[in-house]
Amino acid sequence: MKLGIDLEKRHGSFSLRIKTSLSGDRIGIFGDSGSGKSTLVHMITGLLTPDRGELRIDGTTLFSSRDRINLTPEQRRIAIVFQQAMLFPHLGVRANLHYGFRRCRPEHRKIRPEAIIEVLNLQNLLDRGVNNLSGGEKQRVALGRAVLANPRLLIMDEPLSALDDSLRYQIIPYLRSVSEEFRIPYLFISHSITEMQLMADDVLLVANGELAGLSTPDQIARNHMAGSPRGYLNLLRLGEPLLRDGLYHYPWGQGNLIVSDGKEQGESLFELSSRDIILFKNHPEAISARNLLECRVAEMFESDGRKGVVLESGGKRLIAEIVRTAAEELGIARDVTIFAAIKASAFRRLG
Amino acid sequence: MIAMKSAKTLLSSIVLALFAFTMTALPAKAAQINISAAASLKDAINEMADKYTATHTGTTFVKNYGASGAIAGQIENGAPADVFISASTEWMDYLKNKNLVDPASRTEFAYNVLVFAGTTTKKVKGMNDLTGLDKIAIGSPKSVPAGEYATEAIKKSGLDRKLSSKLVMAKDVRECLTYAEMGEVDGAFVYRTDALQAKKARILFVVPANLYSRVVYPMALTVSGAKNAEAKSFVSWLKEGEAKSILKKYGFELK
Amino acid sequence: MNLSPQDITAIGLSMKIAVCATALSLPFGFATAWLMVFRNFRGKVLLEVLVNLPLTLPPVVIGYFLLLLFGRQGWAGAALRSAGIEFIFTWKAAVVASATVGFPLLVRSIRLGMESIDRQLLQASRSLGASWYDTLATVILPLSFRGMIAGSSLMFARSLGEFGATIIVAGNIPGLTQTIPLAIYDYASSPTGASMALSLCAVSVTLSVVILLLHEVIGKKLEVRRSA
Repeated sequence: MKLGIDLEKRHGSFSLRIKTSLSGDRIGIFGDSGSGKSTLVHMITGLLTPDRGELRIDGTTLFSSRDRINLTPEQRRIAIVFQQAMLFPHLGVRANLHYGFRRCRPEHRKIRPEAIIEVLNLQNLLDRGVNNLSGGEKQRVALGRAVLANPRLLIMDEPLSALDDSLRYQIIPYLRSVSEEFRIPYLFISHSITEMQLMADDVLLVANGELAGLSTPDQIARNHMAGSPRGYLNLLRLGEPLLRDGLYHYPWGQGNLIVSDGKEQGESLFELSSRDIILFKNHPEAISARNLLECRVAEMFESDGRKGVVLESGGKRLIAEIVRTAAEELGIARDVTIFAAIKASAFRRLG
Repeated sequence: MIAMKSAKTLLSSIVLALFAFTMTALPAKAAQINISAAASLKDAINEMADKYTATHTGTTFVKNYGASGAIAGQIENGAPADVFISASTEWMDYLKNKNLVDPASRTEFAYNVLVFAGTTTKKVKGMNDLTGLDKIAIGSPKSVPAGEYATEAIKKSGLDRKLSSKLVMAKDVRECLTYAEMGEVDGAFVYRTDALQAKKARILFVVPANLYSRVVYPMALTVSGAKNAEAKSFVSWLKEGEAKSILKKYGFELK
Repeated sequence: MNLSPQDITAIGLSMKIAVCATALSLPFGFATAWLMVFRNFRGKVLLEVLVNLPLTLPPVVIGYFLLLLFGRQGWAGAALRSAGIEFIFTWKAAVVASATVGFPLLVRSIRLGMESIDRQLLQASRSLGASWYDTLATVILPLSFRGMIAGSSLMFARSLGEFGATIIVAGNIPGLTQTIPLAIYDYASSPTGASMALSLCAVSVTLSVVILLLHEVIGKKLEVRRSA
């Protein structure tokens, strides 16, 4: 998808000016509350009219102050998944799901209810009312409803912020599978770096009503490493472990990662803080940590006084965080071989 | 502290004012006469009261006009009245049975005739022509004698079924006249004396006398009125020539 | 309890007028509430004042204004007469009197219901392909039902008790416009009518209680259905 944005809006003391061009199917929008990202999203969906500018998607002009074009929201075919699900309380699950589908022109109806119901596991919910569903169930229905409208673009506005942690990482696979299965480009708005890492390829940074930059989730995570309470969070997708002596041995790269809180079946997502990786210049003979990896330093970067070390082992990468003096003492530089120790309990399973 | 003081002063001046107000609202000065009379007598009695006051300075009148039934109810409930003049014997008898009037003072004050008056351009010469009209105003028979006489006439003519849903209830005979004058009804059953006061409505026909009982205005002193020397004097005056000529002037019958 | 045939007619008439006044006002009340909640325009404050005016005016004043408007000399009245429609002193006038007096109550209730609708629900429906009138019909209207029922029953009950405006603009015509309050007034004017008045009063109270109960029951049913 190609998205061309050149929009201006002034509202009281707040003003927004964004001019940029984005390509991709998985785009994130990252910024604090009050940065203007909601205003931007409302203008893209047509719920708010810009003061002036242009908005184009894949060659279709949605808004042009110069040519006096302003498509109404229902004409734009941009569906929204909200933070609070926003299911219609007077309709049941089935009617909610079909709401957008029925209003979709027959020639656009590529995605059909049966497919959505299967991918999102909604079979048991179909005959229920929406008011007693759990938070996760509501979001799945909301996602299904939005996708069934067969939009040309899906906007997910902090869809996971209202869910608790365990739920959040259960929903993410659904979000991803919907995107992969049905090939709908999306804009994913969030203030969580981890969510960005999982959901977006490119990220639009918004601050103070202006475009603060175009970046990648990884870059943003690196920049926030020092300031973030848990440093840079490495995200690892591991599966098919062997359980031995109460510990899970996951294949990773050329070897294994040993994890305490694993799961026997299926794939799991793990989080490993950059601060939980201890570096050794020489191979320690014996240590209590179960993981000891021989790595090559692929890259180093600065983040607010800390040093990020990008380690490569067996084709896989991990980022560790150390203070500057430690880097000097150990003589860490590119292409140097280093040993990384990680405790089995350092891996936090997300879902 | 200052606030407290001025609040106190305010409070006491309010209390004082209320007290003075109630004191002055206390009952009659000696030469006050309360008259409660049928609405149709309004203009006549107003003129009579003015004439009487001219020759009997110091007498004041408090006048109350309305439907005779409503007034009887008021007197029954304790409204101050010295003289009661009803437009039918029914309501005088009602008060007599409740021992609220002095039977010795009862006389027949005047008589009247029922007519049908209105502004309609339709041809209305008699009772039967009423069926061709849209709306007819009559006093509510439950309390207005003019309405009772009219109902009597309608029943005697056999027209009560045909005229139902055309009858607009008024609270007294003057309201009937107003309805007729405004043109909101085609016509109204009023007394000849009322029709003579009308500006726009005119008498369309006189209701045949055999269709209703004679319109009699009995007059009496109430029990409290019998103790009022001024009231007694006024009632005597009402039986004399001056009053009678006023009645005649307004179209009332004297026998 | 004794009720004359005229009384029974009065009761029937009261019900008929109340039903008509409520039915007539509902669409206008809904539209007005929608305008006040979801739309911004110049003169909105004026509309609010106008809608609430009947609440603060004495009903006889309202009746008098209606008379000025629809009477033989009034400009609306003259137009109606040339179209052959008689208005003053008919049950239609009683319906308009009740409708006018009850309208602010209706609008107020519906407004309250509408204000509690989350705006994001409307954004959702628009983004899913619904035009503004589609959204109005499929989202706003169903979610306003509770307010509409509350307002209707308030209006119905108010209409049953309407006196001041009715007597001025519809008159006291047994069989045509004499509603329960007018019939009671008739009885009350006469010292002998007290017991009859009491019977009608009892009927009036019973009707009000029934309506209020119905209102509660229907309201509960709507709640239950929503949380299934």
